[in-house]
Amino acid sequence: MSTPETPEENPSAGQEPESTETESQDSSPERLTWMHDTLEWGVKARPGKHGLTMRDINVGIYGDVPEESRDMSRKPRGAFPVPGVPRTDLYTLNHKVELWADNAVDLYEEAIQRRWMAHIDIPWETLGGSIGDTLEPLPEEVELATRQFCTELAQQASIETDVIGQWLHHMNYAYHEVKTFLATELFDSGRHYSAFRQRALANGGRLGLESPGHINRRLLESRAGWTETALYLYVLRGTLTLLLYRYGEAYSHNPAEKQLFRRCMQDKARHMAYGMAHLKYAIDEKGPDYALGLRRLMGGVERDLAAEMKDPVLWEALAIYIAGSVDHMAEGMAEVKNLQRRYMEEYLTRMKWIGVDKTADNLDQGLAVYLGQRESSPA
Amino acid sequence: MATVTNRADYWEKARESGFDLSWLEQLKENIQGETTNEFSENNTGRVEGSIPRGNVPQFGAYTFRTKKDIWAHNLTKLYQEFVTRQWSSATDIPWETIEPLPDDIEAAECQLATFFAQVEFVASDVPGRFISTMSPDYHEVRLVLLAQVMDESRHLDVFRKRALANGGGLMRMIDTVSDVVGGSTDNAREFTELSSRLHITGEGNVLTLFRLGELMAYNEAEKAIYRRCAQDEARHVAIGVLHLRYMNECNPERREEIHSYLDEGESRQSSGAGGENPAARNVLTSEALAVLLGGGKDKTDEGQKILMAIRQRQTKEYFQRLKSAGFDDRITNGRVNPALLEVYNPN
Repeated sequence: MSTPETPEENPSAGQEPESTETESQDSSPERLTWMHDTLEWGVKARPGKHGLTMRDINVGIYGDVPEESRDMSRKPRGAFPVPGVPRTDLYTLNHKVELWADNAVDLYEEAIQRRWMAHIDIPWETLGGSIGDTLEPLPEEVELATRQFCTELAQQASIETDVIGQWLHHMNYAYHEVKTFLATELFDSGRHYSAFRQRALANGGRLGLESPGHINRRLLESRAGWTETALYLYVLRGTLTLLLYRYGEAYSHNPAEKQLFRRCMQDKARHMAYGMAHLKYAIDEKGPDYALGLRRLMGGVERDLAAEMKDPVLWEALAIYIAGSVDHMAEGMAEVKNLQRRYMEEYLTRMKWIGVDKTADNLDQGLAVYLGQRESSPA
Repeated sequence: MATVTNRADYWEKARESGFDLSWLEQLKENIQGETTNEFSENNTGRVEGSIPRGNVPQFGAYTFRTKKDIWAHNLTKLYQEFVTRQWSSATDIPWETIEPLPDDIEAAECQLATFFAQVEFVASDVPGRFISTMSPDYHEVRLVLLAQVMDESRHLDVFRKRALANGGGLMRMIDTVSDVVGGSTDNAREFTELSSRLHITGEGNVLTLFRLGELMAYNEAEKAIYRRCAQDEARHVAIGVLHLRYMNECNPERREEIHSYLDEGESRQSSGAGGENPAARNVLTSEALAVLLGGGKDKTDEGQKILMAIRQRQTKEYFQRLKSAGFDDRITNGRVNPALLEVYNPN
């Protein structure tokens, strides 16, 4: 253990305690009665080929996920209840339908298995431009465009942190699979923030402009429920983020950027897998009226997105990043238009998949124009 | 590579083609500083050091916008350690080394595991709630807290796995709310209060126990669990120590307030109120510990002797944290809880 800046560097783990002075035994009349307090005994979960996973231990009553939990303590699911325990909190997400996804339990383990470290796993030395480096630095405008691109992605990650942070503690403990998965997403978002900021600041650089903020505002101000927030976070924002990662990887200028985008893409695909599964589950369970409500909810949000997409900063930066120069920016912008079209197509596809009747006909007109964009594309 | 002259030509040509490019000029001229501001004007969620736009609504409305309320030195290094030392409860614990145990030992292990599965996520929900209330300008604090949330999730997970891996099951839940005098970790609305209570007292006590895990482990899997969790917990405690150290150095006018949080924490540490210290006297978990430490339900007298020494170790390590953070004056000026002094120096 090394936490050098802490006073904890002398753990002496495993040492025998210093004192052996005796103390009278606990005098509680109920001494050791807890030894019989279990709802199900004899459980022996076995490790599989991926070790002992959270799915492996969902056996017997411990795997029964309730449709609703009114337990306001932090009682682990399946633990022996104690009468008269005061409430710890007033959880607001107490129904399975409000947060559940069957795949959360596996995605949690996958997130841990696929963990990576930005300061070690990204070959930062391949960025070029550092003292004594033999690699060519990027042309100035490409470097500036990359910084702008990465500033936007860092902010998207930071907003994701805020969104999950403000919902996680509202979730009832009966659904620990979802809470623990979202903890991994929170951790991923911190890593993405840190890594893109690091890229933007590489070689003594500075950051770019902040985001226009329309969708960030929607994400942070969403209060109707986790499902509604998930619709914004995954289908609306996540679809774009994943595309930006894909294009970032496809047009990367060096191994560091390629690796960074590739790793982040893996993480984001996992986040999307949870988000999509939850949304589909919630809509399947709640029915067409709820789906219609979500479709109507997106009306105003789509107008905000259309306004945000008119802002040229991200798109121009991406055009330069893709083209590799300002001189060929028009070619880069053709590819950006393909990205924008794919964004809208994937948005519609995802909405349809989760059960919301969102089509080109009822898409906001400001967004529908992107569907008509088609440019010859190498991507 | 393009020369300055023909690059300017390219830019002009691009502008003539309808591109804006004004942002490129702004980036070239960005002089946003690298020093962390004492007060954060950032209410739009922008990345620290990025260029603000004037037309973005102030939707961030962060509660914590003052550096001295949340800051600590060396957090970037601590965050990197968080990232580097992540582990998997599925594959890094040698589950195959678990052999059937006598029923009383298994029950005690399961009771202790139930306790940890319950309380470890307290330390996940609460810091998680704080992250979204802090200005992104203080991203170092946010990063260590979200890394703590990740760790605590894994702790919930690994102890639940232990309870269900060896013929046992989850046992009695813990009442973590009753008899708490003063503020609770859950209810804290101020970061220093939270950190004093959660990192310094609560997790500090658990850290001592994890470090002594060899004493209560009956196989390599349990040893690995306690060893790994101790590493994690030490980082969480470090957040609190580093924060209090900063407060002592840069915000001394709040020392008395911090001492009052420590008063409450010590009271709970010594009395066992709230059930957060599993080794405290007369709580459910201390009985389970006595069974494990003694070697069976008929040997709890021996277990209680060791448990008493563990409490002494908890107190020693707590005093060490106070010293490191600059709050050890309370040990000698009569303010420290007398029950802790008695544990520290029973003679």
